[in-house]
Amino acid sequence: MFAQFFGAYLLNNKLVSPETLAQAIDDKKNTRMRLGVLAINAGLMTAEQVEHVNVAQQSVDKRFGDLCVDLGYLTSADVDRLLSEQPTDYLLLGQTLVNNGTLTNAEFESAITAYKEHYQLSDDDISNNQNDKLSAIVKDFFHFNTAENARIYTEYVTLLFKNIIRFIGDDFTPLEASIVNDAEAEFIVRQKIHGKYTADVCIACPRSEYIDFAERFAKEELSDADEYVNEIVGEFLNVNNGLFVVNESNQLGIELSLDPQNYLHDSSVKFDCPAFCIPVAFAFGEVEFIISIT
Amino acid sequence: MDFKDIKILICDDSMFARKKMSMFLSSLGVENILEAADGEEAVSKYKDNNPDLVFMDIVMPKLTGIDALKAIRDYDKKAKVVMASSVGTQSHLKQAIVLGAFDFVQKPIDDAQVEKIIRNAMK
Repeated sequence: MFAQFFGAYLLNNKLVSPETLAQAIDDKKNTRMRLGVLAINAGLMTAEQVEHVNVAQQSVDKRFGDLCVDLGYLTSADVDRLLSEQPTDYLLLGQTLVNNGTLTNAEFESAITAYKEHYQLSDDDISNNQNDKLSAIVKDFFHFNTAENARIYTEYVTLLFKNIIRFIGDDFTPLEASIVNDAEAEFIVRQKIHGKYTADVCIACPRSEYIDFAERFAKEELSDADEYVNEIVGEFLNVNNGLFVVNESNQLGIELSLDPQNYLHDSSVKFDCPAFCIPVAFAFGEVEFIISIT
Repeated sequence: MDFKDIKILICDDSMFARKKMSMFLSSLGVENILEAADGEEAVSKYKDNNPDLVFMDIVMPKLTGIDALKAIRDYDKKAKVVMASSVGTQSHLKQAIVLGAFDFVQKPIDDAQVEKIIRNAMK
């Protein structure tokens, strides 16, 4: 999830365009990490030093790592360690953007440093997918601290993104949230969670995105936005909400229940209190997740 | 164990969830699969067909899975009903245990867990 929010960070700081980011997300599965980006990320080399080695490599028949050692930027042990580490997803995204010329090494260095500083992330946090750090990013990114039910919004949306990665795919970018009182879309699936509090949750999108989303979850080809597709998208929402309800029960002893889902076509939903509308840009298009908690 | 001799009733209001479960059971070799889309239909199909095992969702229209479990167990004290739900909260688990549920699986359903439950039920 750090990669998706790193993408959002680059987008919000206008370091990439939405189209370039979407392409890079698609391309990163074929990207191989290079030592320069790994060394910058680890804080062992500056972008300037990496550029120096790149220039030096043009006149010497040596590998990048060997040159780094010759020039005193890295030790052999540093090179071995960096090359043996499993690259994290956000690094693959960064490397892809450096490879295709969107970012220079210096821009990557500046962006990754600022991203980590902003969210107070260490490499260990990212490698271990630290849950509290993920929640902190979600809370900050969507400004949930301004909401009355900040904890619930944060827990819910953190789980939602984990389930999107688990069931739909990791090729998405979360976009800035807006506050809405109602939602209107070609297709809407809605489910309410009741108990100590009420959460009113919707998935809303146009027809094509609705079918694509369902195809990802069902892992089967679908052609029409019919009742079966409704039920697939509804089942994703139901599974996500069910897991949330179980977490609340197990961790805090809060007992909640779920209503059956409602399916709306070319219609609108009015919320009892203002809702957070979170658009998510997938490779196949944009889907909105709208959550109102009272 | 020969899966083809087992009769299993899947009760879920989601056609997608029923299809997924049905496809998995078929892949195990189960040939006799019944489906119900709500709690009322589940009770009715149980009485008419006397299945060996039932997989029952909880959140459903007309009659919830918990109510259907109670009705089925009232009818047949030996009924083996597995609650298969997205809402595996402590209170639901307690209710299901008190009412005599055979087991509980949390959605998204893990195929290996379903197979293990069937093997246990048929012992």
